[in-house]
Amino acid sequence: MRKNDGDMEIAIEVPQPRLRAVPSEPAPPDDSVTDAELLARVGEHDREAFEMLYGRYIRPVFGLALRRLGDRGHAEDAVQEAFAAIWRSASTYRPERGAAGGWLYTVARNAIVDRLRRNGPAYDAELPELISHDPGPAQHAEDSDTAWRVHRALEELQPREREVIELAYWSGMSQSEVAEYLHLPLGTVKTRTRSGLAHLAAALEGELR
Amino acid sequence: MNRKPTLDELIGADTTGAERQRLQHVHELLLEAGPPPELSPELEAGPKLNMTMGKKRRGVVKQRAMALLAAAIVVFMIFVGGYVAHTPGGKSSGPRPVLAQALHGTKLAPNAEGTLEVWNASSGNWPMTLTAADLPKLPPRTYYEVYLVRHGRPWGSCGQFRVTSSNSQGVVRATLTAPYSLKKGDSWVVTRPGPSGMEPGPVVLRPAPATA
Repeated sequence: MRKNDGDMEIAIEVPQPRLRAVPSEPAPPDDSVTDAELLARVGEHDREAFEMLYGRYIRPVFGLALRRLGDRGHAEDAVQEAFAAIWRSASTYRPERGAAGGWLYTVARNAIVDRLRRNGPAYDAELPELISHDPGPAQHAEDSDTAWRVHRALEELQPREREVIELAYWSGMSQSEVAEYLHLPLGTVKTRTRSGLAHLAAALEGELR
Repeated sequence: MNRKPTLDELIGADTTGAERQRLQHVHELLLEAGPPPELSPELEAGPKLNMTMGKKRRGVVKQRAMALLAAAIVVFMIFVGGYVAHTPGGKSSGPRPVLAQALHGTKLAPNAEGTLEVWNASSGNWPMTLTAADLPKLPPRTYYEVYLVRHGRPWGSCGQFRVTSSNSQGVVRATLTAPYSLKKGDSWVVTRPGPSGMEPGPVVLRPAPATA
């Protein structure tokens, strides 16, 4: 439709979902190496293995730090400390004592708690003098654990599957809107969503090896 | 964002039974977990080098602590030796050193410390006691050498010594001799062996800025 000179232009602000770039030829995540194998290599100071482990765990670690610290700057510092701790202590990991994901969660959480303690006085000063109705520490810990596992499992997905899952759950768009946004047939979006959920279920059942 | 998707909307109502239960569980976990955080470009770029420096730094700290401990032992030994020697009631009262020179490690042995004491001459020879800490052990059949330095150049050898793994806390104590007429301004260095073993090699201990 041609626009008349007298027409008023109306700007509608549509919130655009923030997503990670999806490569045109998505490379499957290298899941041939388990987290435990990567940790063993990191224990021998293998930098390539450390980078792979970082790629798998940066979002869970950062998410955990953000939830505990509530400040991006402090959380980024805590991430540095958490990965430095992983590098230093990877050689102490013993696969027979438990899954690598659980070990990484413990090391990261300890580094974040250390940061929280160091920030203590400043944080205490900002506490409101009101009775909090927020979830207690136990509930926080459970939420953190769930988010950690889910965000780690998301890293296992093909980028195309991860993209539709993230849009479906956290962009506020319907499946039809997702299809329009990605210029894909609705059936393709549904197929990818379904296979993505199935792969997530498998990853979560495997408890992160 | 308040809108939450339903599982029916995402996968339809066709899937039933155990498979649906599996997907329902994942669906609930995704809703509970919330979105993964957005990474800053710095975090997205990958691990930083300083994340992998911790162990080395810790090693250096440990090494420095050991060097400080060894240096403290050297100072203690010198102090106790001097105290015993100069205490009237001391069992082993002996001659006082006429000169004591503090030595510091060079780049080849940055943590090394030492002291050289020169005693009263006897028949033209000056007995010397070298106490050094944290000098690296040398290959077999090679020795450190103490040189008298005059006018800024090695002037004459005062003897050799070695460091073994049995030296307590890395501290070595050696008795040496300067068979020369000493002059004002003379000092000493400790060197590694030179290429032919006949000339001074690289200096590992040299006089500290302020000598006693």
